[in-house]
Amino acid sequence: MGEVLAAQGKTLPDNDDAQLADIGFRSLDFSELALRVEDEIDEELNFDAAGLRQITTIAHVLDLLTEIQAA
Amino acid sequence: MSLRHASNRLIDAASGEQVTWADLEPLDLPAPAAVVVASSYDAMRAVKQHAETGAELLVVAAGRMEANLRADLLAAGFNVVDPDGTIEAASVTREPEPGRLWLLTSGSTGRPKQIGHTLDSLTTVAGDMAPRTWLCPYSPGTYAWWQVVTLGLGSAGQDLVVVDPAQLDQWVAAGVEHGVTAASGTPTFWRQTTMSQADDLAKVPLQQVSLGGEPVDQAILDQLRTFFPEARISWIYASSEVGASIVVHDGRAGFPVEWLGREAEGRPRIDVEDGELVITSPHHGEGLGGPVRTGDAVVVEDGRVLITGRLNTDEINIGGAKVSAGVVRGVLQSHPAVAWAHVRGRKAPLVGNLVVAEVVLTSGETTAPDLLAELNAWCAERLPEYGVPRRIKLLAAIPTKETLKSDV
Repeated sequence: MGEVLAAQGKTLPDNDDAQLADIGFRSLDFSELALRVEDEIDEELNFDAAGLRQITTIAHVLDLLTEIQAA
Repeated sequence: MSLRHASNRLIDAASGEQVTWADLEPLDLPAPAAVVVASSYDAMRAVKQHAETGAELLVVAAGRMEANLRADLLAAGFNVVDPDGTIEAASVTREPEPGRLWLLTSGSTGRPKQIGHTLDSLTTVAGDMAPRTWLCPYSPGTYAWWQVVTLGLGSAGQDLVVVDPAQLDQWVAAGVEHGVTAASGTPTFWRQTTMSQADDLAKVPLQQVSLGGEPVDQAILDQLRTFFPEARISWIYASSEVGASIVVHDGRAGFPVEWLGREAEGRPRIDVEDGELVITSPHHGEGLGGPVRTGDAVVVEDGRVLITGRLNTDEINIGGAKVSAGVVRGVLQSHPAVAWAHVRGRKAPLVGNLVVAEVVLTSGETTAPDLLAELNAWCAERLPEYGVPRRIKLLAAIPTKETLKSDV
């Protein structure tokens, strides 16, 4: 997440409860993060659109990515 | 048209062999013949037979001859002639069509489609021309290849230096040795050349530099101008379906918007409908008279009509916002450190697609984090946020196909 934000000239706060809206992490950034993870694990991720609507904090993003990779 | 200028020369760049059309021994093939050639130079004997007798002919490079295509051609009444001279008789017998030439185009399904022409319909240059020695780098049998070959057949003082697509990394040396004064190639061809043969490129005595077959952007035109400050630099829009229809000599990408809808005797009419280039051309293939939807996407910028790419791949939809891959490609390729770029949409959650790119740097480096950050900023200054490539992969070399095109 830090690299995605850095490319936009933003920084990732230490607090995992920070609201994505507050740090300027938007849908384009989340999508980019997903592609970075796909490239890293060389596999296409399967996202559940319903689950994505619940993502509002940094912790949510990290939990979701962990969950998807484990699936 | 037949063989009007038999004293024009043919030079094989690979072997150095030189011959005039008059001295070249024609083949004697049973028409209709589909001639599979291992090299561009080998195809010339079949061309001479056609020019002298009008024998129905299709030329195809061996690398393009797949099993499906062979079966299609045999079923369409062609005797297929392999590079070693073996002839496989047509599975359907029919009368040959005198004067007919067939070209293969990729077609909308990707399966090759035959487009009917004649030497006359393939000849788009009329009148006297200054004597020139042309480089012929195209894959045998393609529309661009026939454009160069018909110059050699039909216009006085037009010699050809024939080089195969597989040996293009040596064409500059051949161009210097044989005094090539005119060369036509795709933007990808020119980008590869300026990247890999830059040291000697300016030694080729080019007076005419032509580009076509792919969208032509300002960056490559400007780059070629630095190598050839005195040459005429032209870009040409041509296809098997509508022939050579747009020719621009002013050194700028795109063409003036005033050309749209203009009627002139013997010249193509150019229109834009729903963002698609539509051409009504006197140089069209058989059965393709009237307006032809080209499948090419255009945008109008600063009074110029720019061809950005194929309609079915050019538009990328990012969460409902749309951007042209060709426009993004143009921005990347305008960066001085970029030799080549390919842009596409990649499936992504939430927004459907993200813009991603593959880039070849002029340095050939494949790891350059600082430059990637600079490219990101470069694009962000020139494109809407959703149009900035979110992933850029650096490649070591420009990927090409036998057609001299990148897959754009």
